[in-house]
Amino acid sequence: MSDAIKKRGSDEIYNKLKEIVGEEYCSNKESDLFHYSIDLTWYTPSMPDYVVAPLDVSEIQKIVRLANLTHTPIIPYCTGTNIGGLCIPEEGGIILDFRRMNRIIRIDTETEYTIIEPGVTHAQLSAALKEVGFESSWGVHPAPTSHLAMTVNHGIGHLSGRFGVNSQFISGMEVVLPTGEVAKIGSCAYSDSWHSLYPLPMLSGLFIGWLGTTGIVTKLGIWIHKIRPFNDVYSIAAEDMESISSYMKRWSDYQLCDDNTAVSWWLAQIPIPYPYIEKPKDDPEWFAYTVVTGWSEDEISFKRKIWEKSRDTAIKEDNAKLVDFEYPSEAKRGRTELPSRIVGSTKNYAKSCGGGIAWPGTFTPLKNWPMLYKEWKKIYIKHNLSPAVRVTNYWGPHYGMFRAMTPFDKRDPNSVNKAKAAMSEAIKVGQKYGMIPYKPPVDYWNILNEHADQGWIMLLTRVKDMLDPNHIMNPGKLGVR
Amino acid sequence: MFSLSEKGVKKFPNVAKMFDWLSMCTYCSNCGQFYEYGKERNFAAVNCPSGDYFKFSVYNGSRSRNTLLKGLLSGRISLDDEAAKILFSCTLCGACQQMCETDVKDWILYIEEAARADVQRNSVGVPEGIQTWSKHIPLEHNPYIEKHSERLNWIPKSIRSSLPKKAEYVYFVGCTASYRQKNIALATIELLRKLNVDFTIVQDEWCCGSPLLRTGQFDRAKETALHNINVIGKHGDKIITTCAGCYRSLEKDYKKESPEGYKDLFETSFDMPVIHTIEVLDKAVKKGEVTFREDPRWAHKRVTYHDSCHIGRHCGIYEQPRDVLRAMPIIFVEMERNRQWSFCCGAGGGIRGGMPEYSLETAMKRNQEAIGIKAEIMTSVCPFCYRNFSDAAKKWDMPLGVWDIIEIANETMIVDKR
Ligand SMILES: Cc1cc2nc3c(=O)[nH]c(=O)nc-3n(C[C@H](O)[C@H](O)[C@H](O)COP(=O)(O)OP(=O)(O)OC[C@H]3O[C@@H](n4cnc5c(N)ncnc54)[C@H](O)[C@@H]3O)c2cc1C
Ligand code: SF4
Ligand code: SF4
Repeated sequence: MSDAIKKRGSDEIYNKLKEIVGEEYCSNKESDLFHYSIDLTWYTPSMPDYVVAPLDVSEIQKIVRLANLTHTPIIPYCTGTNIGGLCIPEEGGIILDFRRMNRIIRIDTETEYTIIEPGVTHAQLSAALKEVGFESSWGVHPAPTSHLAMTVNHGIGHLSGRFGVNSQFISGMEVVLPTGEVAKIGSCAYSDSWHSLYPLPMLSGLFIGWLGTTGIVTKLGIWIHKIRPFNDVYSIAAEDMESISSYMKRWSDYQLCDDNTAVSWWLAQIPIPYPYIEKPKDDPEWFAYTVVTGWSEDEISFKRKIWEKSRDTAIKEDNAKLVDFEYPSEAKRGRTELPSRIVGSTKNYAKSCGGGIAWPGTFTPLKNWPMLYKEWKKIYIKHNLSPAVRVTNYWGPHYGMFRAMTPFDKRDPNSVNKAKAAMSEAIKVGQKYGMIPYKPPVDYWNILNEHADQGWIMLLTRVKDMLDPNHIMNPGKLGVR
Repeated sequence: MFSLSEKGVKKFPNVAKMFDWLSMCTYCSNCGQFYEYGKERNFAAVNCPSGDYFKFSVYNGSRSRNTLLKGLLSGRISLDDEAAKILFSCTLCGACQQMCETDVKDWILYIEEAARADVQRNSVGVPEGIQTWSKHIPLEHNPYIEKHSERLNWIPKSIRSSLPKKAEYVYFVGCTASYRQKNIALATIELLRKLNVDFTIVQDEWCCGSPLLRTGQFDRAKETALHNINVIGKHGDKIITTCAGCYRSLEKDYKKESPEGYKDLFETSFDMPVIHTIEVLDKAVKKGEVTFREDPRWAHKRVTYHDSCHIGRHCGIYEQPRDVLRAMPIIFVEMERNRQWSFCCGAGGGIRGGMPEYSLETAMKRNQEAIGIKAEIMTSVCPFCYRNFSDAAKKWDMPLGVWDIIEIANETMIVDKR
């Protein structure tokens, strides 16, 4: 027996999409679309009306033109693991699923860059780069997710301590504009060399950190880095955030490490305790690790000496209460063998809690970490959630991550609401301390934009309107349009 | 956000029982691709045959089916032909399960089978091919639309009459080897005889139940399992099988509790030892009782081995077939996706009968992988994989010989039992 297939959207648009990409790469069936209506977070589910899997730029251009004519939203989607509801449609529309656009177009080992399409995964790229002795900056995300989507949205990876966030590695772009034209940005606009955005006007900024609301990046040039043959991980624990942050500041100043991170006791547990449990009295509250890499054993031991010096200075000068602790070997592997199934798995955060995971955070000045942590801890415990906070320095101490991984139980509406409430409160408080959320869901934007500089909001809106006059690109995701 | 709805529980009572496990899936997508860090090389490869064939994310890995089931259970979407197609397009190869690290991991395949049971109950969108053979099994105890009375026709008369009533081992032949790949069944009994194994064959063997379990037909599977348990027990103390699917059924589905098997559902205390012929052979090789002579059909040829999902990922038998091949005068070559990272042949999970084009194309892709490493021969220890590979090789005229290891061994082995 068969049951009529439930469909969404209009037949007219569906038929046109079918003409563009072919029937097998296009659907308006409810059962195919549901997949795109949710993500890992507490974001309210909402359905798209169509999904298409384009193969190339010309198909995307046709889809975009159709969307403009029919005022249909377009949502760029790679794997939807952004932890911010960023691919969940606000107003229905067309999901552009980039599964088929997964070509690594070039790896240039002389000028040290690669060109990739949106569907290229961290797993795929890391394997291809390692063959030739190179790497990019891999985060602790699941490996089968998009390197392009991560990079254009200020993704963070294991080299961010050394170089800053991944968007700082971008060397060229090809973009389908919301009006359907294609533009290249950087040296690739003038020749076939994708080596640099400099010294041109930084038009790449129109598409970096915009969460797919200003255009569709169809190719991305990214600087790659030679894999250093030697590495080590040093670790230290502390009773309190003041101690750990003063040590991290001292060590970051030297700009010698790839990663300088500390995690609270709750984040150090696998998985994060859900609901909240008390930390055993004798356990330290903070565990820090730092990853150093080098070209020789000598370089590593030099870095070790400097690291010891900064640790000792923090103890002497800042009165930091630091204690030695042995970093578990599995964790050490996880930090040095990236992308990783060890740290890139939701098992660390949400193995048994009921499927939900979200985060408030991220970029917060280091000097404010201790105050913010105190406030967040109160908020989290009030909501019966573990304050599973991670802090990391990027590019020395210039900007740092401060975020709480928050598991919750999607079976229980109460748990979902509590998690959402705790995170929204955390964002509000964070604002006082200079925190800027990263890949933020609309709810966070709404909180932020209330107190934002009006000139900034005006400019943001004007740029968005200029690029996307019909408001078709991932509408609503910036909280301003 | 994903509470059970009344409608969901009514339509999906089997999956609803596992809702708590299903809920542990986070939508992280780790199950969408093979990946492993390596000191020298990192490994990344396509893992999901269904995601590789049907292009949308909703067909890729267990995340897709888990998400769909959450939608169906919470009542946000309803069961229709497309939902049924998504649920029935999984080969149950377990490649996604290999990658998952949350508490849904152990339940992934079990939940998928329960979902199929629920789709069957609702009689919506069950692929026609599956419906056809499903009706036949209770009547003639095989999915090949053959007569039960002809099940043993492949056994040469002389051997048939000499089979004892009771023996140490029962050779459980399985439907594919009995009706389609008789070459493998014949090779098996010849090999067992050469090795002096005390075995018999049960006249009234029924389908092991694998196709029924994999497509969610639990009552029918129980009937066939209980019958087999009863008749096997009368004729032997241990079981030998040459089929990866039968091996999984007998060793796991009959013997292990959920989510590994269906012992609790079958309500049996069956615990007879089950071994695959390749294990018998491997032991004999390792004891020095068996060597292999050169035969122009295989000698010095590049031979690769395909880990059948049912015996590999599902039961952890990876090394014995390789050890046997390495003892042969051939050049053993390994495909990149091997052992737990093996890529499915496309036949299992009801796909060969239910979605034949997709099934054969998957086998063709695996054949291509073998050809890509310049293999001249593809081997396996599963008649069902064998069948899909050889059909695909024929259809696309691929330069690849397909053999069961047992066949090669039977024809080239020299037994020395001093
Ligand atoms: C457990 C866990 C840990 C994580 N850790 C990290 C981490 O350490 N570092 C990190 O950076 N991220 C992390 N993430 C977030 C995320 O998984 C990664 O950034 C991932 O690479 C995003 O890829 P995706 O395929 O899921 O992108 P998606 O979620 O599909 O897309 C992300 C955003 O990019 C937009 N987009 C997609 N394609 C395009 C395009 N072609 N043009 C323009 N916009 C586009 C989308 O609309 C969306 O706004 C983590 C996630 C999880 C679940
Ligand atoms: S099945 Fe496992 S790996 Fe796949 S999305 Fe769910 S939790 Fe992640
Ligand atoms: S069991 Fe195999 S076919 Fe099914 S979803 Fe997992 S990887 Fe895909």
